[in-house]
Amino acid sequence: MRVLATLIRKEFLLLRRDWHALALLFVMPAFFILLMSLAMRDVFATGRTNTNTFQYYLVNEDTTAFATSIANALGTHAVFQARTPDAVDARKRAILKGDVQFEVVIPLGFTRSLPDSQPLRISVVSGASVPPPVNELFRASVREAVTSVYLRARVAALNPGLSAGGSDFLQMEKIDALLKEETLYESAQLARRPTSVQQNVPAWLVFAMFFVALPLSTTWLQERTQGSLTKLRSIGLSPVVLLAGKLLPYLLVNMVQVVLMLVIGVWVVPTFGGDALTLGHSPLGLVIIALATGTASVSYGLLIANLVSTTEQATIATGATNLLLGALGGVMVPRSIMPEALQQISLLSPMSWGLEGFLDILLREGGVQTIAPKALMLVGFALISLTLAGFRLQRARTF
Amino acid sequence: MIDVRSVVHRYAGQTAPALAGIDLHVRRGSLFGLLGPNGSGKTTLISIITGILRADSGAVSIDGRRLPQDTRAIQRICSLVPQENAFYPTLTVGENLRFFAEVQVIPSNLLGERIDESLQITGLENATGIRANRLSGGMKRRLSIAIGLLNQPQLLLLDEPTVGIDPQSRQFLLEAIQKINAAGTTVVYCSHYLEEVEFLCDEIAIIDHGRVLRQGSVQSLVEESRDLALSVPVRTAGLQELFFHLTRTELRDVVQ
Repeated sequence: MRVLATLIRKEFLLLRRDWHALALLFVMPAFFILLMSLAMRDVFATGRTNTNTFQYYLVNEDTTAFATSIANALGTHAVFQARTPDAVDARKRAILKGDVQFEVVIPLGFTRSLPDSQPLRISVVSGASVPPPVNELFRASVREAVTSVYLRARVAALNPGLSAGGSDFLQMEKIDALLKEETLYESAQLARRPTSVQQNVPAWLVFAMFFVALPLSTTWLQERTQGSLTKLRSIGLSPVVLLAGKLLPYLLVNMVQVVLMLVIGVWVVPTFGGDALTLGHSPLGLVIIALATGTASVSYGLLIANLVSTTEQATIATGATNLLLGALGGVMVPRSIMPEALQQISLLSPMSWGLEGFLDILLREGGVQTIAPKALMLVGFALISLTLAGFRLQRARTF
Repeated sequence: MIDVRSVVHRYAGQTAPALAGIDLHVRRGSLFGLLGPNGSGKTTLISIITGILRADSGAVSIDGRRLPQDTRAIQRICSLVPQENAFYPTLTVGENLRFFAEVQVIPSNLLGERIDESLQITGLENATGIRANRLSGGMKRRLSIAIGLLNQPQLLLLDEPTVGIDPQSRQFLLEAIQKINAAGTTVVYCSHYLEEVEFLCDEIAIIDHGRVLRQGSVQSLVEESRDLALSVPVRTAGLQELFFHLTRTELRDVVQ
């Protein structure tokens, strides 16, 4: 125990003097969480006023009450905001530049041409940079506005008495009452939507936890090339003790990361105007998934450290594989929006096991039972990595 | 002190064995020089003696204890000073010494005394607060040796201790090694510097291709070398003739 305590103390001394590693392990994820939680706040916020809007020119060349009704109906949409029309060339330039996303032109004589077999058409123009789903949404909202006004006009024409009341005789607002909107959670207790902070804190936390592989593998390589590992082995320290001497301190570093990132999610993000992170209802589940993810990440770092020969190789191997595992595991892009095939492939990434485990606790109100399979997979991954690392260490020509 | 009999060791994936049935005997209290070109098997032999590597076959015993059965006991009385600077550059001299002392489970009440003693032998008393990466080349080598002395070893194995240091530091180190040996520690000194070995050691083994080619007292080997020098009149030095005669003069570029 004294040997292990000495190894751990030495590791903390080394880390305390390695500002680059500390910045990588603590500042980078904290910055990512803050930035991404605030930047993506509106993408996740569907249940409140949305400040991320799209602009469109509404050019009503027709002056009839019918055309004005369509224009008014369009203007009620929360996401799409009408702008005062400019000259034709200026409008075209703004759409091409992406400053304004759409243009709707109700042509002169539109109302008059309605009874014709070939009536004039409302023109809907969109910019090339508009994402297809947004484009579809805008067209649907134009179609909805035209349909409701057209329907009222047709019914009023068939039964003029109905329109005499002045109010919305079609009672279009009742359509909303026919819809029931719901988000599916594992537990029905959580009747609210995920916020960006709930998505981003676990994602960047898991990413940062796996990044301990970088300072860990480079210090291990330095110890190997500088002969201190040889000296320690000649003293009689077994591969198990040497690996444990790295595993435990870096696992502790991982736990500090977890606490710090959760603190940022709960208290710091809200002070910048973001949502506060909720921690779920299973502290034990949170501790278990944090320990399992930490054990997997440190073991993975030890495996890399024992597979490569130089610090340069270690830097490239840990950096590249972390990015790959992160992208695949749903850190950069949530798994839920990946295509089905990619979702299946992403299950190969240990980062996805850790991330899904954290999401189970923080987002889906899961407990120990929910995260147990993921925690077991992470521990299994750690055991395999440690065994391979120990085997390599035993066989290594250390000097 | 050291008894190595017919030891064979082959690294995985290598066709030629690193040690091909080597025999070596080092008597207690001697200052023993181990000479050999790159790739001759010196380092592998030291690794086996210190229990880092296990021999494929053969027998090794240190002070009557056998490897691998008594590895722990042997490691307690041995100390290896590797060729590289075996310490942590960002820790201070004092922190390095304390770490290596504690990791060897030296009793707490003896810790300070051992550290002070090691510092004094290596002349680093005034450098305890300096980070190791700020030391000069000579001071770094002395720190490595100071770490090697912490457990008061009965057998000290020094691998190329004077590589890359200035003449003053080298002289200090050689004298320090003589003092350590005079105090009763058996020293195995691996070096490429033949004149150092000739100056320092009382017994020498020249090894190559994993075998001992010659072993004997410095005096007897120097005499053998002088006989060879008669046939090579360009040089008149001591051990060098015998060394080249035995190991040849071809370059030994070792690729691992």
